[in-house]
Amino acid sequence: MMNEWSGHFRRRDLIRMVAAGAAGAGVASASRSLGFGLAEAAMKGTVNFADIGVGDPGGDWSKFTQATGWGVNLVAFGNAPSQILNVLVSGGGTQVYDIANIVGGMQKPLVENNLIEAIDTSRLPNWRGDTYIHDFLAPGTPGFEFIGYKEKVYGVPTVLQGDSFGYLPDVTGHLDSYEALFNPKWKGYVALEDNFTTAGQKTALYLAKNNLASIKNPADMTPSEIKTVVDFLIEKKKEGQFRVIWTSFEQAVDLLVRREVYVMDCWEPMVFVARKKGVNAEYARPREGYLLWAMAAYIVKNPKRPPEREAAAYGLLDFILGPWYGAKITLLRGYMTNPGAAAYAKSHPSEFNAQDAAEVTRITDNVRSKFQLGGTWQDRWPTHVNDYEAEWARFKAAPSK
Amino acid sequence: MGAVQSSSEQVSGRGVAVSNAIRYGALAIPLLFVVVFFVTPLALTIAVSFWERAGFWIRPAFTVQAYAEFFAGPRFFVLKRSLIVAGLVTALGLALAYPIAYVLALHTRARVSRVVLLLFTVPFVVNYIIRTFSWEYLLGRTGPVNQALLGAGVIHHPLDWLLFTDVSVMIGLVASYMPFMIYPLWVSLAGIDRRLIEASWMLGAAPAWTFLRITLPLSMPGVFAAIIFGFVGSFGESAVPIILGGLGYQLMGNTITSALDVLNYPLAAAMSSVVVVVMLAFLACWYLVFDVRSFLGKIVRWSA
Repeated sequence: MMNEWSGHFRRRDLIRMVAAGAAGAGVASASRSLGFGLAEAAMKGTVNFADIGVGDPGGDWSKFTQATGWGVNLVAFGNAPSQILNVLVSGGGTQVYDIANIVGGMQKPLVENNLIEAIDTSRLPNWRGDTYIHDFLAPGTPGFEFIGYKEKVYGVPTVLQGDSFGYLPDVTGHLDSYEALFNPKWKGYVALEDNFTTAGQKTALYLAKNNLASIKNPADMTPSEIKTVVDFLIEKKKEGQFRVIWTSFEQAVDLLVRREVYVMDCWEPMVFVARKKGVNAEYARPREGYLLWAMAAYIVKNPKRPPEREAAAYGLLDFILGPWYGAKITLLRGYMTNPGAAAYAKSHPSEFNAQDAAEVTRITDNVRSKFQLGGTWQDRWPTHVNDYEAEWARFKAAPSK
Repeated sequence: MGAVQSSSEQVSGRGVAVSNAIRYGALAIPLLFVVVFFVTPLALTIAVSFWERAGFWIRPAFTVQAYAEFFAGPRFFVLKRSLIVAGLVTALGLALAYPIAYVLALHTRARVSRVVLLLFTVPFVVNYIIRTFSWEYLLGRTGPVNQALLGAGVIHHPLDWLLFTDVSVMIGLVASYMPFMIYPLWVSLAGIDRRLIEASWMLGAAPAWTFLRITLPLSMPGVFAAIIFGFVGSFGESAVPIILGGLGYQLMGNTITSALDVLNYPLAAAMSSVVVVVMLAFLACWYLVFDVRSFLGKIVRWSA
């Protein structure tokens, strides 16, 4: 009798436990899928932050939450112009996202499609103290094209960087010109990025600065200038200058690590990763200058967004301009962020150890020196973007040696 | 009696009507599926290909601008290359897959063939992109293939043409699609009545003649299915040419994506429409030559 009762009890108990567990799991799963953790249930809400993978401070938004009572729901987002426009235009993204953090310079299509709103910088206390904005992104300078459009500010700069090319100094010796990408000495050992606004513009910068072609503005070329650049690249392709046109971060790193190429048009973090894998790789400081760019966080236009959510979005933008976030992103991603980042890392040893603080300073100084040297600003949506794409397709379809 | 007959006719007539309704209802389901998931998107794609761009948007119109851009520009070369590459991959894949399927179906014990067929599924457990990247590692200048050849003294400098060339694209595509071709061939060959082959042998036909007159014709449904799998798959492939092609090697999938990157929807739609038309033309040719029903496993009488 006792055994039977115990058995019933155990079964009932088990059923209760399973039911409770299932319900709990369901609630947790549902809340997770909605972007709310159980611990965040008491928060005022969450700001939906679409990001291309650079703006995530390791998942730690606690400082923002403590300061504002709002959480952050970070959502992965593509960086290709078409993907961004498609998600925001036809994917209902304006109703979902509050902030989109992408490589800047997309204001023209985004504003003309009524997808982002102008930013009231007076609502951002950290804006005023950000000397990088004044020095590199001020209205009237080429850098403004990364955050503004028609004299209005639409984007908050989140990271800044200057690109050139990577190389293996053990093989090539010291290199300081884009000429290395086209030098027959490295024939068959050169890689380019599959991107007309990076590889194309760097080539234009090389041709223009060395008086090899008449290109007025490498950042925004006319159709005939683009044709000149692509004709040059096709000629080099036919001569067998290029080994490969890379398309992904891992592929590019692998090309250097396996010594498949010696000179590569690439991003600096790729060189950092190659070094960590034991390869002596360098990132060039070309005399022609860098391809400069910045990421911008835009407020997605949504007339139905309540004022308190709008205020939270502004709060997050200001947090992004703050020193803790800047130091964290510089350390994690290898980009310069804001002027307070290095000092903050140095003065907060409990959050950044000495080695990390030194790394933040080193990266910041390095990128700042790139901006001081100058070069050309990347234009993600040039005036003749269709000509760029068509000419790049011609380059890719052209026969090689 | 007449009343009974009339009632019976009525019941029979009702039965026929119900049967017809069920038959048409059953037919309507696949028809609806084809209309919703194939005809409608295709019609929309064709319609958009004649529309015109208006800033970042498109608006209904009737212009052949997108087609002119496609046929006059370098992308037409990509179409021709895609057709050639897909044809070569299919031919190579068939040349490799048929003997494998033949041996497994007709000259191997059932247990062994089962294990070998299972082994051919193993690559699919590994992510497709990772599999393709592994070819890049294997065929590179410092990769195992070149190292082995250098070590054996066969070559004195790494072979550049192993990677980022037509050769590596072919290797990647054949490796990707050949296993898909083995299965329909094996099914088709394993289904052949062995008595027909034995009868041919007993009547004194040489093995080669038996193969040409008995085995090959009866395995044509599998050959046809294998060709479809190999050709369609490699024609629309985008990852292999990007990873192994090196210098901007493009097939149609890549060039359509490239047009979409700058929101050139009419051009992308025009290229997609041309691809569909080309594929339908191929299917029509196959239909005339082979009989499409054979693709579904039906043994049909060949005109030969």
